[in-house]
Amino acid sequence: MLEFYEPQPDFGTPQSDSETLVTLTIDGISVTVPEGTSVMRAASEGGVKIPRLCATDSLKSFGSCRICLVEIEGRRGFPASCTTTVTEGMEVRTQSSEIGKLRRNVMELYISDHPLDCLTCPTNGDCELQDTAGEVGLRAVRYGFEGENHLVAEKDESNPYFTFDPSKCILCSRCVRACEEVQGTFALTIDGRGFDSKVSAGQAESFMESECVSCGACVDACPTATLTEKSIIELGKPEHSVVTTCAYCGVGCSFKAEMKGNEVVRMTPYKDGKANEGHACVKGRFAFGYTTHKDRITKPMIRESIDDPWREVSWDEAVSYTAERFKAIQAKYGRISIGAISSSRCTNEEVYLVQKMVRTGFGNNNIDTCARVCHSPTGFGLKTTLGESAGTQTFASVEKADVVIVMGANPTEAHPVFASRLKRRLREGAKLIVIDPRQIELVRSPHIVADYHLPVRPGTNVTVLNALAHVIVNEGLQAHDYIAERCETADFEKWVQFIADERHSPEHTEQFSGVPAADLRAAARLYATGGNGAIFYGLGVTEHSQGSTAVMGIANLAMLTGNLGRDGVGVNPLRGQNNVQGSCDMGSFPHELPGYRHVSNVATRQLFEREWGVTLDSEPGLRIPNMFDAAIDGDFKGLYCQGEDIAQSDPNTHHVEAALKAIECLVVQDIFLNETAKFAHVFLPGATFLEKDGTFTNAERRISRVRKTMPPLSGKADWEGTMALANALGCNMHYNHPSEIMDEIAKLTPTFSGVSYKKLDELGSIQWPCNDHTPAGTPIMHVDEFVRGKGFFAITEYVPTEERANRKFPLLLTTGRILSQYNVGAQTRRTSNSQWHAEDTLEIHPHDAEERGINHGDWVGIQSRVGQTVLHADVTSRVKPGVVYTTFHHPVSGANVITTDNSDWATNCPEYKVTAVQISKVTAPSSWQARQKSFDTQQLQLLEKARH
Amino acid sequence: MSASKIERLVKMVNQISLNMSSNGPADFVAMQVSEHLEKFWSPPMKNLISEHIADQNIGLSPISLKAVIELAAIQKAK
Repeated sequence: MLEFYEPQPDFGTPQSDSETLVTLTIDGISVTVPEGTSVMRAASEGGVKIPRLCATDSLKSFGSCRICLVEIEGRRGFPASCTTTVTEGMEVRTQSSEIGKLRRNVMELYISDHPLDCLTCPTNGDCELQDTAGEVGLRAVRYGFEGENHLVAEKDESNPYFTFDPSKCILCSRCVRACEEVQGTFALTIDGRGFDSKVSAGQAESFMESECVSCGACVDACPTATLTEKSIIELGKPEHSVVTTCAYCGVGCSFKAEMKGNEVVRMTPYKDGKANEGHACVKGRFAFGYTTHKDRITKPMIRESIDDPWREVSWDEAVSYTAERFKAIQAKYGRISIGAISSSRCTNEEVYLVQKMVRTGFGNNNIDTCARVCHSPTGFGLKTTLGESAGTQTFASVEKADVVIVMGANPTEAHPVFASRLKRRLREGAKLIVIDPRQIELVRSPHIVADYHLPVRPGTNVTVLNALAHVIVNEGLQAHDYIAERCETADFEKWVQFIADERHSPEHTEQFSGVPAADLRAAARLYATGGNGAIFYGLGVTEHSQGSTAVMGIANLAMLTGNLGRDGVGVNPLRGQNNVQGSCDMGSFPHELPGYRHVSNVATRQLFEREWGVTLDSEPGLRIPNMFDAAIDGDFKGLYCQGEDIAQSDPNTHHVEAALKAIECLVVQDIFLNETAKFAHVFLPGATFLEKDGTFTNAERRISRVRKTMPPLSGKADWEGTMALANALGCNMHYNHPSEIMDEIAKLTPTFSGVSYKKLDELGSIQWPCNDHTPAGTPIMHVDEFVRGKGFFAITEYVPTEERANRKFPLLLTTGRILSQYNVGAQTRRTSNSQWHAEDTLEIHPHDAEERGINHGDWVGIQSRVGQTVLHADVTSRVKPGVVYTTFHHPVSGANVITTDNSDWATNCPEYKVTAVQISKVTAPSSWQARQKSFDTQQLQLLEKARH
Repeated sequence: MSASKIERLVKMVNQISLNMSSNGPADFVAMQVSEHLEKFWSPPMKNLISEHIADQNIGLSPISLKAVIELAAIQKAK
């Protein structure tokens, strides 16, 4: 979808969702629009543009600029078309000599305090003020610049990505309203009165010092050059654009990559993107510079041992070398001695190819994906209870929710564009229950206060979920008819006996969870009786020894209250990475083929065997933790790791490093020499999302196109690298374009059978299942019945984790993310986002800090049963006493040196969220950090030798 | 076979059994556990744990032991 650059269409005011239609005439043209539509929007839809400055269709009409005046038959004066709604039979005139005069006069006043530097202005040719001056026919300004004006107002260039130039501001308030209505941060205001009025960030602070989250909504909304991307100032206006999908979190925002040649000038959120509807966050909007960062490695490299310098080689040599070493390893140690790990950052087509290569080229099922360490319990839990391993809703569905539970998720940091939607709904009056050990932003933020915050002790989620269900059952608040009609009766009755037991009462579970019984009871009543109830959850649910149990507990709650199968309700896993859903869909787990079909299923295997021309293994392969154990045991010797940094992201770093060192041939395909690549023998250069075609599937099951904006820097997209390796191993893979891979996926996977690139281009995006029954996709799942038929209430017994606090390790560490950084930080650390978060810190409650003599900013040692690391202390009451918290975005932090290899009972998803630790004041980094620094230096020197 | 290797597997089976323990009578739970192992474990893991069913000292809980015996039977029947 390559297009010459054009600003995205703007209808002036938001769309009305009324189903009642109204017909009117505008300049003699008959227009029919939904009731509640503004005259301005009706005119736009009828092909008539009314000049405007303060109106834009992402914001409610404001009526301040007085440019959009019109005449309406039978009405006196000149009403503003943005604030006047249509009525049946209305006759509107948008042009007359009087209107023209009024508009020119107003425009003249604006321009009398605006610099006339259009030719050198960064938004020359892309400025609504300039356009509007032209539209109203302004030819002269009578007032001159002699009087008082704002032309020398000082610029604020504090934000790394955009500049605020108040000399160009026309005080339309679009930026202020965008910050409020679209983003929900309320960081901007109009300060002062009359002539002194000005846009102000925070408490008259710079943008960088204020609470601005740099989402870019104000920049998008600005009709002048007041708020302008620095990349536009530096590089100029783009000349073409490509619509693609963001490669950060699981929201899957659609963007226009605006280009000059092969250079990205700007990423603008795409209004027609269903996941984001024109909004973005600081990562997707601005943090794309890593694509061309100097650290990118663009040539394949090989070496015999990790102590050798790297040697740059051709793709052919690297691929042949890898194939020979893998074959030799299999000949010596056996067919199952090698495997692969694929990545949720890669496209559906790429992860599909990796699992196909493993099953057909390696001849085993040793394929796993990074979803193992995040949402594998979601797959297990939702498949068991509802019948499908996926979230049930659209993001837009939250606009119909009345009660929202956010559990173990921090949307304002990790899924910010969804958080903005959610905050909008909460401001409209929806109720909020937060279940989280920390006081996340949603608990209390501008115009939002959670009705209940249940500050659960890490490791006890299941007790809270069981207690919520217990209250609903024992107080008779369940949806009797829904359950009778839609759920397994015998299993439900068995479950009721289980959950009604006193051991699940809030008064009993309070001793484990720390959640006050009265709050829990009130929250249960609210969720059960408050109307449409929607649950959103994240890794704070899944990354526990009972992650799968908790997911089943969530599904139980939703079924119990009839909150599945329609708009405004549902069970919504917020996926951490961009393509977690897709990588799971594509058969990246060792026990199942694409479409979640077990490898032991003969009919499924035969289907793939016919297509692929091989005999497939009927036994599950190794999961990631099994691979590490087998490597240390000497049974697993070859690993192909695409787009995943297991040395940084997986738990118990000592264990992971020991495993990587034991592997004889470690192949890493990545865009940078990441922590894992420092243990590798072959490096295959990866491609960013801007360098390839494909699809991502977001947390809504929405399949969206990724479109190439520039050629891959290494000469090959990741799918091409995998294909070359597969063919060197003796496979027969010949795809000319990822669309052909998707055609194969559709042919073999019933839930994808209606998906094609052609249809994706036509519809924009598709939520699977998409097949003959649902040719346009499935926005809401389980509408009439559950995918498994009847819903299954799973027994969810609480089993305490073995990772317990004691006198030696009295505090519980839990981990999470921050807005500006993403996962292991490989991308965002190589952008200006690091200005917001240059290092990971340890959050500790003032009480725990004081007991240990720790002050804010002190170096503190964090000692767990498996390791130690050192971070700066952030003394804060965001965490409660007994709980400490850190992020894991920087390798040197060693957050996973201290996390253990405890894991979920059903899926082996690591228990990142519970580690017993002791904290003490220290003066130097840990011994691991010292070793890491030395190893890092050595490996970078070995890399330099390859480059020179 | 290293001791730690079998210890790891025993720990895993016991964890699965404990989490399924309220699903029903012991025989029913043991069957569910063996199905889980069959469905998700790789052959070397299944074989190794199955080889140790006669070893009373490896620490399998009663339900886990039942499950592993069933798993061994499934493996043998293949």
